[in-house]
Amino acid sequence: MTTSASARQRILKSIRVSTSAIAAVNPSEESKAHAPLAEAYIRHGKLDRTTCLQLMIERLREYEAEVVECSPEQLGATIKDKLLASGKRTFVVPAGLPGAWRAAGFDWMIDDGHGAGRGLAANEIEKTEGVVTASFCGVADSGTIILHHSAQEGRRVLTLLPDWHLCILLASHVVETLPEYFDRCAQPPTLATYISGPSATADIEMTRIKGVHGPRFLHVILARDEPKVN
Amino acid sequence: MSAQQPRSLPEHEHAELDPRLAPPFPQAALRVLRNPQLRKNVAHAIDVIETKRGKLVAEKTDWQALREAASAIRNQALEHLDSYLEEFEKNCTAAGGTVHWAADADEARGLILDLLRQENAREVIKIKTMTSVEIQLNPFLERSGVEVYETDLAEIILQLGDEEPSHIVVPALHINRSQVREIFARRMGLEHLSDDPKELTNAARAYLRSKFLAIPTAISGANFLIAETGGVVVVESEGNGRMCLTLPQTMITIVGIEKVLPRFQDLEVMLQLLARSATGERMNPYTSLWTGVTPGDGPQRFHVVLLDNGRSSILKKPVERQTLKCIRCAACMNACPVYRQTGGHAYGSVYPGPIGAILTPQLMKMEFAQSLPYASSLCGACYEVCPVKINIPEVLLELRSQVVDQERKKTSRIFDPMYLGLRIANLLFAQAWCFHLAQRMGRIGLRLFTRKDGWIHSLPSVGGKWTQTRDLRGFPQQTFHEWWAERVKETK
Repeated sequence: MTTSASARQRILKSIRVSTSAIAAVNPSEESKAHAPLAEAYIRHGKLDRTTCLQLMIERLREYEAEVVECSPEQLGATIKDKLLASGKRTFVVPAGLPGAWRAAGFDWMIDDGHGAGRGLAANEIEKTEGVVTASFCGVADSGTIILHHSAQEGRRVLTLLPDWHLCILLASHVVETLPEYFDRCAQPPTLATYISGPSATADIEMTRIKGVHGPRFLHVILARDEPKVN
Repeated sequence: MSAQQPRSLPEHEHAELDPRLAPPFPQAALRVLRNPQLRKNVAHAIDVIETKRGKLVAEKTDWQALREAASAIRNQALEHLDSYLEEFEKNCTAAGGTVHWAADADEARGLILDLLRQENAREVIKIKTMTSVEIQLNPFLERSGVEVYETDLAEIILQLGDEEPSHIVVPALHINRSQVREIFARRMGLEHLSDDPKELTNAARAYLRSKFLAIPTAISGANFLIAETGGVVVVESEGNGRMCLTLPQTMITIVGIEKVLPRFQDLEVMLQLLARSATGERMNPYTSLWTGVTPGDGPQRFHVVLLDNGRSSILKKPVERQTLKCIRCAACMNACPVYRQTGGHAYGSVYPGPIGAILTPQLMKMEFAQSLPYASSLCGACYEVCPVKINIPEVLLELRSQVVDQERKKTSRIFDPMYLGLRIANLLFAQAWCFHLAQRMGRIGLRLFTRKDGWIHSLPSVGGKWTQTRDLRGFPQQTFHEWWAERVKETK
């Protein structure tokens, strides 16, 4: 038997001495494994849609992310404006991103790393100046952008190496609270990245410094794909 | 080669933080108390975190409900730890990961070295993991010929500066910007570096970028394991974690067995509490979740090492068990009036502060960390801020009673003035006439030491331990019983 396998037996045996003692003291239904627990905390937000989206924008700006809004029809043009304003030329995109979003006049590298596809090598991605992706959803309460790394959101490395990240967020995908995001997940994701503002550190005298290793610049386009409610 | 110089490799890199070698808390604390720069650095950092934390916790109207929920989730995880670990193992394995088990630090180090040798890895990049400091992994790997590169900014500062971590979330909080500048200038060969945190951070970014792209093997810790999915969660700020989790071909994650959560959805509670408690942010910049191996995305070989190292025996004890609910947010140390004065090194353990004061003696079978349960004023601030509601004062008291039980049985304690005194007190207090006699003798005896102002300012022998830091009121000339008896006599 390998060390690990014998360690496994010893550890589980040692744990079971304790867990069986606990079960003997506390044999109620609620104490069973996987029994659902009470949720007295706030799961659903109370804000109307306009305020909720406003909160999302505010929170993102607090993290020094730049946010612009547009209608779904203007999306292509807005992306182009952001790309032009960045002064950069070479961008990488995941293969699943709509082709119409890849404005003419820039160098586009397309990453098809999902499943059987062949992805770009890390040093090729490293050479690009920016990345454009979609997102799974946004959480207004904490200004968090959530990626599940689908074909539109790209492999994890894509939103990591380039210094500049332009992220498209659909207004209909913005939720107010973190628990509402969990409600949106039909299945738990196998891969996920929750981004709250650009990379930062406060390790030197608790001074928040933007951009240690991840992208230093986060730009968000909030596409207003739901009808405005007043 | 990098600018990093080869350095001497002591048997224990963190001897100061090895409970078997560290001096007792009062002795170690004294060293810190005499270092004004260190105290200033610690107090500044703590003030910043505490202010931010207070503000963000106050805006959460359901904070107490979240704490209750988190406490219930962690309790459930511990009450069924065996089945959740097996469930995690099953799901992680099905997703392409390999799960290993290590009963103690030795086994874990051996396992990790074997995995690195299978990969022919001579270099390894690391995400900050306190668990790896607990098992003294870095000095062991370096002695075995593996070059270790820490990638968290604070960890780089510590590694290049030959310093020990003093906090579990902001490990270099005891080092200020000009000290960081000096370390970076010396070890990275950047003489013209200024002490602007931004410039220092950029120096670290440049220093590590090539390592991230070149070194194919990484070691990480984990904040949570998810039994339901076999997923692993790492919570971080800088993105060095994402680099290590994404770029290498092989990832080895070392994690304590208590870190498991039953369900994916449990994160909706934990993530709302963790960043607010740890760094005073609504959410940390990056949280990564991965499950086994995903073709085309991230490391294609993934190992998890589940470490016991004393944890399963803590689980056996009804009062102490709650220690294992800890999610390592460090809110207790930031709130602790003792930690604020002494910083982390005085605790002689990788886990400092209130949580360290209860965790270390339990992980180390007490005899090495006897002074730690006393490194607290029992004010309860740690319990109040704890996001998973660990009643730290309750555990401290339980451990104190164990220290006493352990000590008073020793023959060396028979003539120890304190234990002798307490044994005598035990006899005296058992009978009323003995007690009255002792009161009278005490009154006569202590008169010698009582000054005109009615206070005792200094006492000899063990009594001096009390009067060293505070005065004692002199014995009154009459006890309540005597006064009462007199009064009854007079009214008759």
